[in-house]
Amino acid sequence: MRQKLLNGLAGIVVALLIGAVVMLVQGYNPVETYLALFNYSLGSGYAFATMLKNSVPLILTGLSAAVAFGSGAINLGQPGQLLMGALAATVAGLYLDLPPAVMIPTLLIAAALGGMAWSGVAALMRRWFNMDEFITTLMLNMIADFFTYWAISYPFFDKGANSPMTPPISRAGWMPEIGRFNTSVLVMLLAFIVTWFISTRTTAGYEWRISGQNSLFARLGGVNTSKNYMLVMLMTGVLAGLAGGLIVMAGPHRFIKDIGANYAWDGVMVAMVANNGIIATLLYGLFFATLQTGALGMELITAVPRELIMVLQAIVLLVVMAGRSYFDIIANKLAERQKTRERVA
Amino acid sequence: MRVAIGLINGMIAAATPILLAALGGTLTFYAGIFNIAMEGMMLGGAFFGVLGSYYFGSWVMGIISAIVGALIMALIFILFAITLKVDEFVTGIGLNLFALGTTTYLLRQIFSVKGAFAGPGIVPVPSVSIPLIRDIPVLGQILSGHNLIVYLTALITLAVAFAVFKTRFGLRLRAAGYNATSLQMSGVSTARVRVWSVLLCGVLCGLAGAYLSLGYVTLFSENMSAGRGWISLAAVILVNGHPIGIALISLLFGFADGLGLFMQQSLPSQFTSMVPYIATLIALFVYSIRKKKERVAA
Repeated sequence: MRQKLLNGLAGIVVALLIGAVVMLVQGYNPVETYLALFNYSLGSGYAFATMLKNSVPLILTGLSAAVAFGSGAINLGQPGQLLMGALAATVAGLYLDLPPAVMIPTLLIAAALGGMAWSGVAALMRRWFNMDEFITTLMLNMIADFFTYWAISYPFFDKGANSPMTPPISRAGWMPEIGRFNTSVLVMLLAFIVTWFISTRTTAGYEWRISGQNSLFARLGGVNTSKNYMLVMLMTGVLAGLAGGLIVMAGPHRFIKDIGANYAWDGVMVAMVANNGIIATLLYGLFFATLQTGALGMELITAVPRELIMVLQAIVLLVVMAGRSYFDIIANKLAERQKTRERVA
Repeated sequence: MRVAIGLINGMIAAATPILLAALGGTLTFYAGIFNIAMEGMMLGGAFFGVLGSYYFGSWVMGIISAIVGALIMALIFILFAITLKVDEFVTGIGLNLFALGTTTYLLRQIFSVKGAFAGPGIVPVPSVSIPLIRDIPVLGQILSGHNLIVYLTALITLAVAFAVFKTRFGLRLRAAGYNATSLQMSGVSTARVRVWSVLLCGVLCGLAGAYLSLGYVTLFSENMSAGRGWISLAAVILVNGHPIGIALISLLFGFADGLGLFMQQSLPSQFTSMVPYIATLIALFVYSIRKKKERVAA
């Protein structure tokens, strides 16, 4: 645990240093830039609340990827599942008008079902036809992208708008704000707790993880891997779909083109940096959200383009991954040396 | 007739980048590397192709710098997957995201634009009109007038097929994937063979990128590889890496792409844009059915 934490922190520090070098080369002041970055994401109550709200889709898609990868299901369909979840919640929100206490859970369920349906398609393709899910989910991402684009351009198009978007959903479906804080964060935390509980405290979660580490061992031990695979795919679809629904319900309250932005791929990145750990995904998700939220302020104050954050994130990923296997290589070497010494003695 | 010729030419144009990337992918496939970084290498190539072409005002420099750009990605892949032994799949995903982030950032930083950079300063790779052949009716319109990289790709396909099956390098390449220990025992470094396969894959993906941004269209836009690297991976898997098979399957994907464009007259463009991806799913489906039958027969 301590080594993991150290590795993670070292990775972040090294990545930030590399980022500083990149800035220096291009003639920016790194100290000023980082100050602006963190000031605009953590520096005030408002900034902090924005950062938390931005972390919701990142962490939910991150959890989706972490559970999937950890269980040996290569679900890379978070972008598509997020979009389908967002579309389902939007459509439900356009046609229903219930009191908020019923409306909000209804829309959340719609979002979850939307994501689940899309991951379910990939899961069935694998189960019935043995088609590799990592390619099918990627293709389904592209298809979902065009399908939602069509849906907001024709059947659910807002006649008064100039660009593809739907009309706003019913007021009752908006996630309420408590002070500055959007309650979508609470839904995300609830989903986090449920995910953590399932994967660390239940038999199913144990079986999933064992299947991820050693599928053959799991099967010989009596685990029904194919049933578990379906469950994992459906659950990870639910998490990604929820992310999409919450973006709509907390933010623009309608489906705008490119609403998914890069959230889902960033979520996949978060899960990889976190090595599929559930708690680590939450923490790294918050860190990535901090970077992304501060990017705007950084651009405003220091003229460093906010796209730099995309590079920084990728560097964090590569450095942490390299660090992890480098630690392993060193640990192996030390163990070998120990063994040789014992043999000599 | 005009429609048929248009469809065939559209098919060839759309198949080229997929074929190039898939040929690169098949070299690593034979070497026993699970390489999914074609998407990132292609994107890097496409960006650096535009950069080189714009700054030097020459398409030759464009192609060279596209290859250099893709090679940088390939070197990162080698550093992580081969030297540091990070999981190949994780490295591939990481590299693809790295390529996306870096090219988006550089697009903003160097050209000060968001989304896409197009300009008269970018020199495209020329099309080639073949004398004599171009005068043959119908056939001339199909065989002549393509982009230079298209003809290069046809030659490369044959060269890769020859190299993999008829040369010592090809034998070692296949041995690295088939039985790495024997290869190591025979005194050839498996790691070195694998490094070479990734480097060659980088060169081919660089060419694919150059074709995208300097041939197919003359611009660079964010994430312009748009899943072609993944489709090329599907092509490699579908034919178990055989270069000629890859050429045929790439043409099939290219045909789906052209068909999509053709259908735009009757369907919303969002649906026609889905066609190549749906075609990939159908191809994977047919493949799995065939495999199942084989298993039953055996």
